[in-house]
Amino acid sequence: MNPQSNDKDGVSRRGFFQLSLGWIAGSLAAAATAAAVVRFLVPNVLFEPGQRFKAGTPDDYPDGSITFLEDERVFLVRRGNSFRCLSAVCTHLGCTVNRAAKGYHCPCHGSVFNEEGAVEGGPAPRALTWFLVTLSKDNRLLVDKGQVVEPDKYLVL
Amino acid sequence: MNDGSVRKFYGWFTALGLLVGVLVGLGYYRDEYRPWKDYQRQFIREEIRRAATPDQRLLAQNTPIQLQQIILPELNRVDRCTTCHLAVEDPSYGGFPQPLAYHPLHDQHPFDKFGCTICHRGQGRATTAAEAHGNVPHWDEPMLPLKFIQASCGQCHEASDNPAAPQLARGQELFETVGCRGCHKLDGVGGNIGPELDRVGARRSPDWLRQHFLEPSAVTPGSGMPPQKFSEPDIDAIVLFMLSQTGANLPGFYASMKVIPSVDEGRRLFQQKGCIGCHTVDGHGGKVGPVLDDVALRRKPEWMMQHFRDPQSVSPGSVMPRFGFTEAEARALTEFLLHLRDQKVALSIPSLMAPPDRGREVFRKYGCAGCHGPEGKGGVPNRNAKTAQQIPALTFVGDSYTKAELKKFILNGQRDIASLDPQLPPPPLYMPAWGSTIKDAETDDLVDYLFSLKPKGEDLGF
Amino acid sequence: MKTPLPKRIWGWFARTGVGKSIFRVGLPQSNLERSQAMVSSFLLHVQPAKVNRHSLRASYSLGLGLISLYLFFILIGTGVLLMFYYVPSTTQAYDRMKDLQFVVSAGLVIRNMHRWAAHLMVLFVMLHMCRVFYTGAYKHPREFNWVIGVLLFLTTLGLSFTGYLLPWDQLAFWAITVGTNIAGYAPFIGPKLKFLMLGGNVVGQEALTRFYALHVIVLPAAAGLMVAVHLWRVRKDGGLSRPETVGGSVQTMPQGQLPTNKSYGLMELARGTTPQVGRDPDDEVFSWPHLIFRELLLFLLVIAFVLFLAVFWNAPLEEMANAIHPPNPAKAPWYFLGLQELVSYSAFWGGVVVPALLVTALALLPYLDRGRRGTGRWFARERAMANTIFSVCLAVAVALTIIGTVFRGPNWSWVVPWRTPPAITEGR
Repeated sequence: MNPQSNDKDGVSRRGFFQLSLGWIAGSLAAAATAAAVVRFLVPNVLFEPGQRFKAGTPDDYPDGSITFLEDERVFLVRRGNSFRCLSAVCTHLGCTVNRAAKGYHCPCHGSVFNEEGAVEGGPAPRALTWFLVTLSKDNRLLVDKGQVVEPDKYLVL
Repeated sequence: MNDGSVRKFYGWFTALGLLVGVLVGLGYYRDEYRPWKDYQRQFIREEIRRAATPDQRLLAQNTPIQLQQIILPELNRVDRCTTCHLAVEDPSYGGFPQPLAYHPLHDQHPFDKFGCTICHRGQGRATTAAEAHGNVPHWDEPMLPLKFIQASCGQCHEASDNPAAPQLARGQELFETVGCRGCHKLDGVGGNIGPELDRVGARRSPDWLRQHFLEPSAVTPGSGMPPQKFSEPDIDAIVLFMLSQTGANLPGFYASMKVIPSVDEGRRLFQQKGCIGCHTVDGHGGKVGPVLDDVALRRKPEWMMQHFRDPQSVSPGSVMPRFGFTEAEARALTEFLLHLRDQKVALSIPSLMAPPDRGREVFRKYGCAGCHGPEGKGGVPNRNAKTAQQIPALTFVGDSYTKAELKKFILNGQRDIASLDPQLPPPPLYMPAWGSTIKDAETDDLVDYLFSLKPKGEDLGF
Repeated sequence: MKTPLPKRIWGWFARTGVGKSIFRVGLPQSNLERSQAMVSSFLLHVQPAKVNRHSLRASYSLGLGLISLYLFFILIGTGVLLMFYYVPSTTQAYDRMKDLQFVVSAGLVIRNMHRWAAHLMVLFVMLHMCRVFYTGAYKHPREFNWVIGVLLFLTTLGLSFTGYLLPWDQLAFWAITVGTNIAGYAPFIGPKLKFLMLGGNVVGQEALTRFYALHVIVLPAAAGLMVAVHLWRVRKDGGLSRPETVGGSVQTMPQGQLPTNKSYGLMELARGTTPQVGRDPDDEVFSWPHLIFRELLLFLLVIAFVLFLAVFWNAPLEEMANAIHPPNPAKAPWYFLGLQELVSYSAFWGGVVVPALLVTALALLPYLDRGRRGTGRWFARERAMANTIFSVCLAVAVALTIIGTVFRGPNWSWVVPWRTPPAITEGR
């Protein structure tokens, strides 16, 4: 019969302590290394066009205007001293919608949205999203495409 | 079976396990506890303190601590300066201690289109102060000392055109009057005795440049460049002008800034396009079109702009051709015409001048003064040259050469200069062959000018 | 006695149904289980169930081969991680290196680990080769394993060289310029070889793409395959080399005869030169735990050392590669500096003939030196001549490398670094 791996004398207290400490330290080091590897893979900076962008000064937009910002694919809406920003990305399959006489039409599959962005016709499942508009410290309109707001939320100057 | 041969290693196992753990911890600590995070926390605390409404306070409290960067694909850079310099766009932080101070001039140069390093230099991708400010080994572009910041304006703007950069304009003025072009090419024009200066601003530090002006042979052994005597403000100005020559090739959006409409630019265009062929200014010029001296009284700027765009549209039956000016060029010409009455600007239009005056312009343009002294008076040393170890003055050149001979000499140059002492190295400075650079008509004017240098009353005639 | 908690947890898991489905043996408690742990494990079965006690002696092998292998693993691990951020483009590579240093969490440490492990691996592969030579472990029946080792050595140099270019800084650009120029000196094939390496005539985007492909997939795969064969041959050639005086020496088993005193099932039928299980039990111990534990310990040591270097010393990154501004002197990576020194005497003889002869002699060594005596001992007397020749060549190589590193300055002139005043640099 083969003897057990642990011999009969038992390990000394110091040996046991060392071994436990070694195993715990080693396991913790391994866990910390795994965590570090995962953290390494999470990017800290993005090279995409930012979600937040500046849309010029309020004076750049005439009263009652709806301006299409091509690079950001949004419409900037001004009425009086109130500003809103509407996404121009159709909620159906992502085409850029066009401004119509009243509301917006999508050229791809015929979705129709009203002035508030709600769906009036066509295959789009949801209304167009409105983005948060704030005023930056240097008096520019700051749009944050990462923050969705209700259609009735304006920036009032 | 088990003779404890493994047990003797338990101590090692522990020690190494702990060591690896400690090192991983150390690495993690150095990564996570970065100075920029402290600055961001400081900024957030200040923002909370300044918050006027609960909404604003909430916004400030929820600001994430993260790296900030400005991506500039056309300039091929990424600037992370705003990770620490968080208040650059907020005027209310004017005068706040760095790095949280406000930065003016944001309107003309929005930071999200220009970034920071295009003007201030430094290492934009870095995230620690020392590395970002760039005074570190293996980084060629440390931050410009603030007193030289106007040098960066010169990358996009013409030096003389920018009212916000007077030092840069002074630097260029010095460059032209002292005659650096006599030995150094800049923008393709100049002599070939010294190196070309088109990229000197990217290759040399301000200290080196300053030293070089004061004592060239100290930084460039064997240099023949004479030491320059400038006043302190002038040294800064010319160093600044040199720093602005970076040879940067800036893409469309930025290079279009190169022409700020201005009187100077307008005058250049006026001369270049040959307007004087049809119009009269100050009694000189052609008679096809109207006199321009008082055009500012007769026409509004908008009319002039439209006239430059399409003469026939505002002046039916006009024979003035459509020159195809850009908007900026049209504005520059308009500025020039509007100021025609004020500044006797006409006098400095080269084609309106008499030949000796034109020749003086040529003398200035090619920097002859750099070797032959202001107005050809001489006094510039040339080590071991037979001509009294100096570059000859030109005051009496009219006595030594005929006009044809002088013209030939200018065009062909003289490469070998006689040595005073044959044992010593030959003189470093020589006469370049200007034939490939100077135009023929310019040479005639130059010769006329040089002949006119002789003080009057000395022509004894025999 | 109480086993430590992590070990107990592991042991418990290994005996559950789920655990047993993954680890068929669990935590070995008997000798049978110890053998099975080695033999029935995919990762471990390249090692034998029992090893000769002599093989465990650190003073014999110094663990150099294992260290090289561990460094290889560290390089693969850190290399794969670096691949998530690095872009092999002349316009982006340098910026990505800066990003790794500044904005990627743990980026600096991982890059440093990769760089230091790379240098160490070249060094330890060389040391391993020296050890194998000095212990005569290339002799019969291990001749071919030595040849594989030489190929691995060249592959390691290739990996280091291809990786050297990737940061695209001045150091990288000019080292590779020098290196490929040396390759171009070979007669007949030289210029074509250089053209093939660079994908063109200059060190540019094509070169970077090729070097990247070589560095991340071609050479590692080749190295991995050869390492597998190398370890397999160690098994088949009778384990690590041992002196003749140690028991369990290599014997040839008569064909068809199997020991009758064994109670194990037939795990493998081995013909030829393998250790005989059951014949010399006193000299052999179970791999589990004796070999495994030592290997684990060595791994901890290697990773601790590499981590230590990485946390305290940064790998170099100079200015971005600039084809118009060669540093003076432009130096190849340190393992090629001896070669560069030779080249400075004569491009053909120094750069082509001597290295080619050396490498050929190295590869053919076991077939040139057919003596059977002296294996398994350091500096065996019987091999005095072979040892001397090798030592002389080694000393010359080291001296040339030192000269190239320390004593060569601008224009490859002779400089004495502690006496020469610093050169007037181009000045900024």
